[in-house]
Amino acid sequence: MAYLERASPMLKETLLKIYRAEKPVEVDQHFQEFGSIQYHIKCSVSDPNIVYVSTSTLLETQGTVTLKDISSQSYEEIEKIAVVGVIDIVDPPSLGFQLTLGIHLNNMPRGKEAIKIIARISEIQALMLSSQLKEMLRNLNLQDDSRPNNKPIRIVYHPNEPFYVFKQPDKITAVFPMNFKDNSDVVIATSFFQELVEVGNLKEMGNVPQCSWSPIPPPQLRGEPIQDLTTNSGFVSFDITSRHVEGKRLDKTVWNLLNFYAYVKYHIKCTRGYIQRRMRKRMDSLVKLLYDISLEEEKAQKVNVRCKYVKDLVKVPKGKLMMKQRCKDMTRRVKISNFRIKINGCARFRFNQRWISLTKYSSKPTNKSYTKLD
Amino acid sequence: MASSLRLYLACIKNTLEAAMCLQNFPCQEVERHNKPEVELKTSPELLLNPVLICRNEAEKCLIETSINSLRISLKVKQADELESILTKKFLRFLSMRAEAFQVLRRKPVQGYDISFLITNYHCEEMQKQKLIDFIIQFMEDIEKEISELRISVNTRGKLVATEFLKQFM
Repeated sequence: MAYLERASPMLKETLLKIYRAEKPVEVDQHFQEFGSIQYHIKCSVSDPNIVYVSTSTLLETQGTVTLKDISSQSYEEIEKIAVVGVIDIVDPPSLGFQLTLGIHLNNMPRGKEAIKIIARISEIQALMLSSQLKEMLRNLNLQDDSRPNNKPIRIVYHPNEPFYVFKQPDKITAVFPMNFKDNSDVVIATSFFQELVEVGNLKEMGNVPQCSWSPIPPPQLRGEPIQDLTTNSGFVSFDITSRHVEGKRLDKTVWNLLNFYAYVKYHIKCTRGYIQRRMRKRMDSLVKLLYDISLEEEKAQKVNVRCKYVKDLVKVPKGKLMMKQRCKDMTRRVKISNFRIKINGCARFRFNQRWISLTKYSSKPTNKSYTKLD
Repeated sequence: MASSLRLYLACIKNTLEAAMCLQNFPCQEVERHNKPEVELKTSPELLLNPVLICRNEAEKCLIETSINSLRISLKVKQADELESILTKKFLRFLSMRAEAFQVLRRKPVQGYDISFLITNYHCEEMQKQKLIDFIIQFMEDIEKEISELRISVNTRGKLVATEFLKQFM
């Protein structure tokens, strides 16, 4: 058994699709759920008002309850949900299936009522399985304690997930041999089982079945198949007293026992997801830390690069620089030679510089002749 | 932070500060190649003595230094099975994403859980002190994260167990 919801989502969806279809549709669909439950939905265009839903489950039990008895109990349960004129049990069921239901779409009430009926049909498999285990627990509870033959009943709803139920004085014990493929799953599951035992022993949880976990199988399972007794996560046992199988509690107890494997697997899956999320978050923070270091360094480099860039703009090659300097000196000298004479402290005479006349040398050939000085 | 952890980290920090004086050094064996000497170990004259710093038997740090590269290998504490699984998962997760960390080695050195490889180029790109701080921060974070994860997994288990058993009531 490997689902937490009672209704099969696939079956519900397909039935709703057929119900809501405006035109008659041809459907001949086989599907499996969780590796152990088979469904076959058949609806033909020639007779569009009837939909056949067949289902079967892998069921292996040994001991006091036979398949025939369980099936009859299931039939009784199914008859309870069968609405007169809408759902009928087809006898005999389709070949290879345990149960076939005929759904009369033309008699189906409209609106929300129809959806409710479809939801109930989708729960058919859960109903069958629950009824079987319910009957087993009821029978075991009624059994006389003094009877020597309290052989464990092996229940297999899934090929790899068998569990055992056996009668003990004043209680019924359900034992789950736990096996997981992955090592990390084993560790998470073991931690969960330890917590389960701890929580079960709390005072506030006095009304719940006593839970125990052991790496070795209980002595009552001696003689059972070795593959069932070879586990990597030990054996989880629930002690169910008469209180847990009375009235409405029976339904809850049965459903919880059936879903125990699914519950543990779902917890492991969620825990793995949680660990992954945490690791991703931590990695991001570490990467950010490293990235910040790089960023700071880059910033520092950028500042230097800017200065360098300015320097690059200003920088002149050495040879050019020397040449430029020489040119500058030359120009300055030329300028000085042409400029008016400046004497420190005689700036005030600068205005009167025009009165100081300097001998003018002319390059004209006419002026080259000598003149007699007085 | 526990005083022993503080001392352990301080010791690693000081050792790294002393060891992280890397310079560019071309390969002596292959022309025009520049390889981390600590990985190749072709020239013993380019290698320094490795330093092993142990906090306890389960927690240690190996610092191997060469002229142009530095290798830091860490072994993280794994007290029980859950911690061991969490440590392996987390460090594998980080190693698989080593490209995000420039200095992380994809495969740890044998006998260690995680390894870093720092070359002279990393030292040029990043500040030396900041890089050392990052290694120390990384070690602190790993320890903290694994411890928190362990507590969270146990707490989640407890809550789920309570919810499961409550359904019987």
